[in-house]
Amino acid sequence: MRAALASRDGRLWLGVGAFCLLCFLLAPRVVWIGEYPDALVIPFASWITTGMSAFVDSFRWLFRALAALVDVPLVGVRTALQATPWLVVMVLACALAWRARGPGLALLTACALGYMVVTGYWVQSMNTLALVVVSVPLSVAVGFGMGVAAAYSERVNRIVQPTLDFMQTIPAFAYLIPILFLFGFGPAVGLIASAIYAAPPMVRNTILGLRSVPAGVRESGVMSGCTPRQGFWQVEVPTALPQIMVGVNQTTMAALSMVIIAAIIGGFDDIGWEVLSTMRKAQFGQSLLAGLVIALLAIVLDRISFGLARNRFAGETPDERAARRQRTWATAVALALGALLLAMLFPVFDDYPRDLRVYPAGQLNEAVNWFLRHYSGAMDALKNTVLFFGMLPFRIGLNQAVSPFTWGFALEPWMTAAYGVAAAALFLWLLWRGRAGGALAVALVAVLLWWGTTGLPWPVVIAAATALGFQTGGLRTAGFVAASLIFVLVNGLWEPLMLSVYLCGIAVAISFAIGGALGVWAAHNDGVSAFLRPINDTLQTMPQFVLLIPALMLFKVGEFTALLAIISYAIVPPVRYVEHALRNLPQGTVEAARQMGCTPWQILTQVKLPLALPGIMLGLNQTIMYALSMLVIAALVGTQGLGQQVYLALSQADMGMGVVTGLSMALLAMTADRILQAASRRHQEKLAVGTAAPA
Amino acid sequence: MTVPFRFTRRAAAALVGAALIAPGAQAAELGATEDPIRLALVEWTGQHLTTRIIGSTLEEMGYDVEYVSVGYLVSGAAAADGDVHATLEVWDNNLGDLFPQLLEEGRLENLGDVGLDAGEGWMYPSHVAEMCPGLPSWEAVQDCAQEFATAETFPQGRFLSYPADWSNRSEVLIEGEDLNYKAVPSGSEGALVAELKAAAETDSPLLMMFWAPHWVLSEVDVEWVDMPQEIREEYSITKPGVFKAVWPGLKDKWPAAYEVIAAAKITNEIQEPLMARIDRDGEDTEAVVAEWMAANEDVWRPWIETATN
Repeated sequence: MRAALASRDGRLWLGVGAFCLLCFLLAPRVVWIGEYPDALVIPFASWITTGMSAFVDSFRWLFRALAALVDVPLVGVRTALQATPWLVVMVLACALAWRARGPGLALLTACALGYMVVTGYWVQSMNTLALVVVSVPLSVAVGFGMGVAAAYSERVNRIVQPTLDFMQTIPAFAYLIPILFLFGFGPAVGLIASAIYAAPPMVRNTILGLRSVPAGVRESGVMSGCTPRQGFWQVEVPTALPQIMVGVNQTTMAALSMVIIAAIIGGFDDIGWEVLSTMRKAQFGQSLLAGLVIALLAIVLDRISFGLARNRFAGETPDERAARRQRTWATAVALALGALLLAMLFPVFDDYPRDLRVYPAGQLNEAVNWFLRHYSGAMDALKNTVLFFGMLPFRIGLNQAVSPFTWGFALEPWMTAAYGVAAAALFLWLLWRGRAGGALAVALVAVLLWWGTTGLPWPVVIAAATALGFQTGGLRTAGFVAASLIFVLVNGLWEPLMLSVYLCGIAVAISFAIGGALGVWAAHNDGVSAFLRPINDTLQTMPQFVLLIPALMLFKVGEFTALLAIISYAIVPPVRYVEHALRNLPQGTVEAARQMGCTPWQILTQVKLPLALPGIMLGLNQTIMYALSMLVIAALVGTQGLGQQVYLALSQADMGMGVVTGLSMALLAMTADRILQAASRRHQEKLAVGTAAPA
Repeated sequence: MTVPFRFTRRAAAALVGAALIAPGAQAAELGATEDPIRLALVEWTGQHLTTRIIGSTLEEMGYDVEYVSVGYLVSGAAAADGDVHATLEVWDNNLGDLFPQLLEEGRLENLGDVGLDAGEGWMYPSHVAEMCPGLPSWEAVQDCAQEFATAETFPQGRFLSYPADWSNRSEVLIEGEDLNYKAVPSGSEGALVAELKAAAETDSPLLMMFWAPHWVLSEVDVEWVDMPQEIREEYSITKPGVFKAVWPGLKDKWPAAYEVIAAAKITNEIQEPLMARIDRDGEDTEAVVAEWMAANEDVWRPWIETATN
């Protein structure tokens, strides 16, 4: 115990503890400790507005030209898709799906497109498809290039990593106004916003894939006489392809999830616009039917791109390939011509009549109402329980959350004392047992739970976070953490920041726990995996607005509804990444453990999970990013954090404030990410030492 | 709407005369008919009706009209740049800062009232009157705070207010008048509507800020609180104005269209029944407008006549 206290970390935390104690004692007397004074807010936002206005005025012509350039393929694809009868588009899509993976996928494609036809959303669907068809290749190409550069150069990587974090976490709403002023009104703005947002997963997965190519594989390429270029394209890229394809998949999903944001600008009559309009009317049935189109498009695009990349005809000889290609093309052309003929003979195959529409929105709304009438009491009780016992303590702390109305009793002084004694006892016991990390965690959680995220004085938060950064990642991380938090502080956004920390913190913890467990299960069971995949795709691409409507009706405006919305989105990355990491472990190690007689549980906890840690940590990183990106959507149901600030900026057309708020959200994400990544690295180093020692 | 007979006849004669004798003169008045006039369609049905009725009138005159779906706040910026040429239903209770700024800089032109008789205030679904029989009086609102209390707001009553980025007038009022309510900002129009629908469905208490005309009011029975005039004025919960904003170049490029847009008046009596048919009965907006145009020539024809006279 004495050793723990005397170590470098021990002395650091003793100092931090003393500092925090001082802050707590002084907070009631010195106002500026409890609340950062408005007079000291630095007007970065207005400086940015001034600077940006000047920039926009002088470079507008350049960006307008770029927008016009992007518009060309967009309008081309859109016009082509619109002019072609739906039956022809469907036949061609099915032929492509058949080529990619076979009759099953062709059937799925037919059903998905058929859904768009009979619900009467065909035109909007094709406009959305045009947007995605242009933006995804753009994101994939840029993302792959950036990924390759960063994978081979540490210096590039050091610039790329934070850029990615910014691209993914600055909410699109925050830069919508600047790019609107730059690029002018039109679909190009949505396209560019979506390309910015969708590229990072491609970069990240390319880096991870290329860096995980085993040295042996790379060497075997060199040994067999490959030039560096051949080695790259014929050895490394194919080896990294599974990981890179995860990137393509995630980029497609991200592009489709941006469809809805792009629709805020409008000008394209796409399906996102449809969802937005119905969301505004709180028409659940209508918005679900429209939202499903986006999810279906995502699923079909994803499966086809996956199938094509895997190339199920890889084993054939050149002659066979030529013959097959000829056959495929002949069949496709014949089918398309047949479909065209049908469409010309029967207009129903060209322009689906509105009278034949199948549109069960009314029934869906009635179902929600039925549920509401029968279960609103039970749902209310559920909400209150979670709110009182789970969320309030984190926000305002136990010292305020415990009241006769919430917990059924008032907080007596002896309870306060008991809480303090229990926490101190646990802390000392862990320290005595030599588990300094556990003791520290107990101390931090005890303080946090007592005062809540919004009740902690700002110097305490900054000191503790900086110390945590120092302990895990050294001086550099500590500096980053301190600088980020101080940036938010001096911009006067401390209060919204802590509200966001509270909401996202809970959401990330819940999402990662549940999602991680599901991911482990899916990794060991193909049935579960196949079952979860379309659900994940739907959750990730179905506009969140859609799920907000029934959640709002059941749980009303407030933080609980927001929490559900965030979790429903942030739960997807842990499932995907954990499953992927566990499924792609070196088989030899796992096999060796099995032969040594390890139980499945031991194999999982002591072999698989530690080995899969880099992939799992990437999943945690993405969970945090996703949760933060949902803050803006959560603001639509009345939360007060940084997300709401973004809307305030948007409604005031305040470029500077939008950017500053967006930056604050990005910095929050990066702070959490840096600390976690550093902790993971430390853990891995320890593991490496541990495995090296016996040898 | 009745139109003086003489006025109509003279205008019609002028039209016929212009068409017969001097097609060139009329073309000059219409302006650049070869270029489409682009009208913004924003997020709500009422605006679609306003826009499509005025747009159909322009088409009757021989203009080529294009409809562009665009976000409400963005429509101001789009009209200032001439990317769209008019956004025809701008509510001054939900302007943001962009509209006033553009209007002030002269990059957007205000072409006068739409003609809607808009209202705004505190309201509740009708069943709430049973929980608080004194309603709709202002005193009852103060006395019944307990009826509206929820877990999050206890011991105060819960008041659902506008999204924080629209306005905080209700918050200021509650604080200024020391009412025993806690205002919960709703975050979006969808959230306001969803809560209203849910409250009506489950007979639960709800007191909220809202405006009219709004399509949901044809679906849910509501009543408005009798807010004293001096309180309305003090916290500026007054009648919202609804105006038509156009691209400043419109006047020179399409002079007659400019006059028609200025003259057009879309009233609650026009909007409300059509809105109910579209949002409640699921009819198609274009079809509903076409039918209305055919049946109500006496309403829109005079706009053209004022313009070309």
